[in-house]
Amino acid sequence: MFPYSEASWSVVDGAMFIGWGTSLPGITTVLAMIACVVVLVIGQRSESAKAKTFDK
Amino acid sequence: MKIANLMFDCAPADRIHDGRHRKNDSQRGVLTVEDQIAELVAKVAALEAAGSGAGAKVTNTMFAETYYYLTIPLMIIIHAGFLAYEMGASRLKNVLSSGVKNILAFAFMIPTFYFFGWWVYFGFPTGIPGAAGPMGISGVEYANSIAWGWGESAQYMGPNIADNISGVFFGAFALFACTTASIMSGAVIERIQTVGFIILAVVLGSFAWVVAAAWGWHADGWMVTKWGVHDFGAAGLVHAVAGFFALGVLINLGPRIGKFNADGSANHIPGHNMPLTVVGLMLIIVGFWGFLMACVVPPGEAWSWFPDKFATIYGTPITLGSLSFNILMGVAGGIIGTWLFTRDPFWMMSGALAGIISTASGLDIYFPAHAFLIAMSAGLILKPCADWLERRGIDDAVGAVTVHGTIGLYGVVMLGIWGAGYPSLAIDNAPTVSLMGQIGGAVVFFLLGFVPGYVVSYILKMFGMLRIREGAELAGMDLVKVPAAGYPEWGTDAPVTPAE
Repeated sequence: MFPYSEASWSVVDGAMFIGWGTSLPGITTVLAMIACVVVLVIGQRSESAKAKTFDK
Repeated sequence: MKIANLMFDCAPADRIHDGRHRKNDSQRGVLTVEDQIAELVAKVAALEAAGSGAGAKVTNTMFAETYYYLTIPLMIIIHAGFLAYEMGASRLKNVLSSGVKNILAFAFMIPTFYFFGWWVYFGFPTGIPGAAGPMGISGVEYANSIAWGWGESAQYMGPNIADNISGVFFGAFALFACTTASIMSGAVIERIQTVGFIILAVVLGSFAWVVAAAWGWHADGWMVTKWGVHDFGAAGLVHAVAGFFALGVLINLGPRIGKFNADGSANHIPGHNMPLTVVGLMLIIVGFWGFLMACVVPPGEAWSWFPDKFATIYGTPITLGSLSFNILMGVAGGIIGTWLFTRDPFWMMSGALAGIISTASGLDIYFPAHAFLIAMSAGLILKPCADWLERRGIDDAVGAVTVHGTIGLYGVVMLGIWGAGYPSLAIDNAPTVSLMGQIGGAVVFFLLGFVPGYVVSYILKMFGMLRIREGAELAGMDLVKVPAAGYPEWGTDAPVTPAE
């Protein structure tokens, strides 16, 4: 996954993260977005269910 | 260190470690003393040259990067402060849920600002539809090229050996975003649902205030180029936007049970730990040194305004000395002004915040005694403004609408009165600060906060995602939201607020 053709730090002159130049950054960004939304959905469901148990 | 290494290099190892086996120079093929001195002189000259050339450039780049990097932990202290402040202002039964809410706001603000908030800042300074501005650092096309986490622009949104600034600049702005969420967070404690709150925090921190920043805190911002709006320390675009966003939410959220009596009179609902709240407020003050430091652009880089002096985000000159003078005088003035009417440490420390916020727009150009007087006046009006709001049926648990919203706009307008005529940008024929321009800016900041706060909270209310159910509110939100106890030894013997 080294983003340069030669496996040497001497040729690195810009972006140096894993996946640079591939679709990996975009895929991980979208997955991170989805993860945030899913967490909110799960959190809302569990908190609502717990809160209902305190209804009089 | 370099000099020491240089001299060590010039001393043959056998002279230092093993004189018994010394050979003559010709046998060993080493330099004569004269040659060594000549080499030393050459190396010193090279070092001196580096000091005024490439070396200085590297040093300056590292300084600029470190400068912004250090503002980030300083601004995180703001959140330590808000955390303590809100938890102290909560009753015992809600102390941990208030903390969880605040921590989650921080946690969701960072990725959402990364996903789209940073893009909004660069995309819309000239307004909608996002045309490029004259400085060449704005517009949707520009934002597309530097602020998305995919494609070519991803190179500026991750580790890049050729880009020392994007990450730290993003970090500072992300912490500004977190600050707006924390401002709103305190106002709504003890009755809001967690996810509903997070959605509101994201709308505020990764969109609403960012639009205000793009319009009024960017060299291409239309409010700056057309109206001459000057808001150096973000009194309007951070504090007022967040404060009035909170007001919009509070209208739909409603007061805590027991806050108001049937005749409309208000009960005071004390938090469980005043000392924690006051210390939290002091931590916020500490963190604001980092916040205001991050409003300054260091010199000498390709993206800097000047080769040799600090600038505001508008490109106008500033010194850190100005900040030192005026922040300190603002804090002092705010405390003194508030003490006169309240004698209450909660309001005195809120007055310290009000002192900074009321002078924030012009911290770069106020005379310190002038800043002190403006801050003191803000301290004087603080509690009466909060009381006025409470008489209108608004339950702002920590006074956030007044401290950040009302005083934020007060500060923006004050600069219009006192700073009229100052150039708003460091360009020829620049627009100048004016009272009408600052009032116009204040109105826009109010609307950018209040409207989305009201609309989004109204929608959340329609879907039953805004307010916690009555039974859960009465029982205490820690029982609903947190599998832990803030003060387990107290059990169920904790005092209950009479208003309930």
